[in-house]
Amino acid sequence: MPAKLRFGASLRILLGGKDELTVEPGRSVRATLASLDIKPELVAMVSVNGEMQTKDYVIQEGDTVRLMAVVGGG
Amino acid sequence: MNGYGGKILRVNLTDGTVTKEPTPPDVARDFIGGRGFGIYFLLKEVPRGADPLGPENKLIISSGPISGMLIPGGGKCDWTTKAPLTGGYASASMGGHFTAEMRYAGLDSIILEGLSPKPVYLFIDNDKVELRDASDLWGKNTFAVEKQFKERLGEEFQVAVIGPGGENLVPYACINHDYGRQAGRGGVGAVMGSKKVKAIVVHGTKSIPVADKDSYRKAGMAIYKACKDAEGLKDWTRYGTTIVVSWCDEVGALPTRNFSAGSFEDGKNLYGPVMREKIVITDKACFGCPCPCGKYSRNKKYNNYVEGPEYETIGLMGSNLGIDDIEAVAQANLLCDDLGVDTISTGNAIGWAMECYEKGIFTKKDTDGLDLKFGNVEATFAVIEKIARREGLGALLAEGVKHASQKIGKGSEKFAIHVKGMEQSAYATHNATAMLLAYMTCDVGAHHNRSWAITYDLQVGRDKVVPEKVARVIWLQNFRPMFDVLGGCRLQWVELGIDRDLYVPALEAITGIHRSWEDLDKVGERIWNMTRLFWARENEGFGRAWDMPSPRFYEEAPKSGATKGQITKLEDVNKLLDMYYEQRGWTLDGLPTPETIESLGLKAVVA
Repeated sequence: MPAKLRFGASLRILLGGKDELTVEPGRSVRATLASLDIKPELVAMVSVNGEMQTKDYVIQEGDTVRLMAVVGGG
Repeated sequence: MNGYGGKILRVNLTDGTVTKEPTPPDVARDFIGGRGFGIYFLLKEVPRGADPLGPENKLIISSGPISGMLIPGGGKCDWTTKAPLTGGYASASMGGHFTAEMRYAGLDSIILEGLSPKPVYLFIDNDKVELRDASDLWGKNTFAVEKQFKERLGEEFQVAVIGPGGENLVPYACINHDYGRQAGRGGVGAVMGSKKVKAIVVHGTKSIPVADKDSYRKAGMAIYKACKDAEGLKDWTRYGTTIVVSWCDEVGALPTRNFSAGSFEDGKNLYGPVMREKIVITDKACFGCPCPCGKYSRNKKYNNYVEGPEYETIGLMGSNLGIDDIEAVAQANLLCDDLGVDTISTGNAIGWAMECYEKGIFTKKDTDGLDLKFGNVEATFAVIEKIARREGLGALLAEGVKHASQKIGKGSEKFAIHVKGMEQSAYATHNATAMLLAYMTCDVGAHHNRSWAITYDLQVGRDKVVPEKVARVIWLQNFRPMFDVLGGCRLQWVELGIDRDLYVPALEAITGIHRSWEDLDKVGERIWNMTRLFWARENEGFGRAWDMPSPRFYEEAPKSGATKGQITKLEDVNKLLDMYYEQRGWTLDGLPTPETIESLGLKAVVA
């Protein structure tokens, strides 16, 4: 069962409108982003099934991984 | 006039009179509100060369047309003055509920002028406006005074209050509201203190006329729905601005030990989830906001409650001082709020003093016996108190890092982290050229809220010095502060990512005037140029040299962390300024050209 990557609005803008991607589990968020040609450092926050995680989190089957960039800075 | 309370309240502290005058329709049309009103009145009414703490300076408090309305984020209030910290323009934005009550009392702006001979507070209950004796409140901390007013007058009154920092004219004293919201930067609290105004309390029940009620409701609901549907709402609600602590640490933007690095080896202890788990007990929103980014914390270690800390305070009172204990940071936050000093400038001042101590420039003789090493929590608490009361070392640090370092010398000027005299907020900029430029050219000094561009730096290439980066900084400087003009919060756009075009019909329905974002960006550009002209008017020789950043960012590469060995070259700093001035239509010394002044319709401003 694949996992889902969902992009927050700010990241969606940076990625040219991508909203959601299906990915294979078993790799870290960082490695998954790199494989998709997305600079991992652009992602400020990783939330997996509602809990904040680091980019080293290994994506599991069925996970929903929400990714956000920061464009405002408070 | 649709969209406005319709009145400007003028309070002359010298003779104790209060008068109301109609909000000029042409000013509302051209400057809209908030910081637009602020710079308009500042340029028009404060004479050249006015002492920031003297009778000629004014404190201009302004709402905007979406303040207090059914528009998410409409809880912002602008406080404009001539800054005691910098001698230039100051405009501080305060969230909470004050601005809504101001509007319901029919007020678009409150202008404080003159100096009161004795402590007073300004009482506003709809049309009843009085200056009342505050002798019994003078000397008290902010939380006690706010609580006293709430008990005395009722919860429906909103309170803005200064603490000992403002009374003692600390040039980075803030104004506190709602037990944890501030008009923080530039020394607006010192200006209120110079006028001997301890507090403003306001309550109102009036309606604000709108041009088209049905369209207003629809437009407001559309923004509300967009916020509720936003992908990031849950996380921003859960963590607020602390979301960015871990990321800043990762990319080398987290100020560490007086900005000598951008990553903190113990930073993990300050990350958002750690704070949420350890101390946060609930979330707190400003007026009418569906995204309560404020965090309210129970600090068991110090046995108290505090709003925050949010990112800036974690950066400046935590990593920047080498402190990795979130409860200690929360306590420092509480002390600053209660004493009424800005956490950003205070964190910088203490960081600078700690570096002086570690380098042997200060000994214990200079620090009142304190062992002022990085990481010393108790010494930090003691110094905060000393600053607010201007005692011992605090008297020096209360001057701000620019003046303190000029007084001490011995090379300490090189690690005084400021632009134009305002201490830098919590983003290290060793190798983030757009963000560095944003700080250099910000219209109040080294503050992030006008233009924030670190993600853009990462996207384009952090050391790239290209016209696109400069254009991005300028676009943000024109556009982001428009939320401070409208009287609203920008978080809904910048972080929840809602479409900014949703504000266009809302503003039209409220005011009856159609303005596209192109029109609004133009207003933002005019205001930006007006603030620049104010700086030039008030400071002889003002120009390029004033836009230079701390040498720390072009002379000293961090020895550790994500930006280890990285630096912005001085020639690139100058190249950034060259491009910026050209794109702005300014001279090579950073002043608007006659053609730019003419094209923006600002000739009358400089006449």
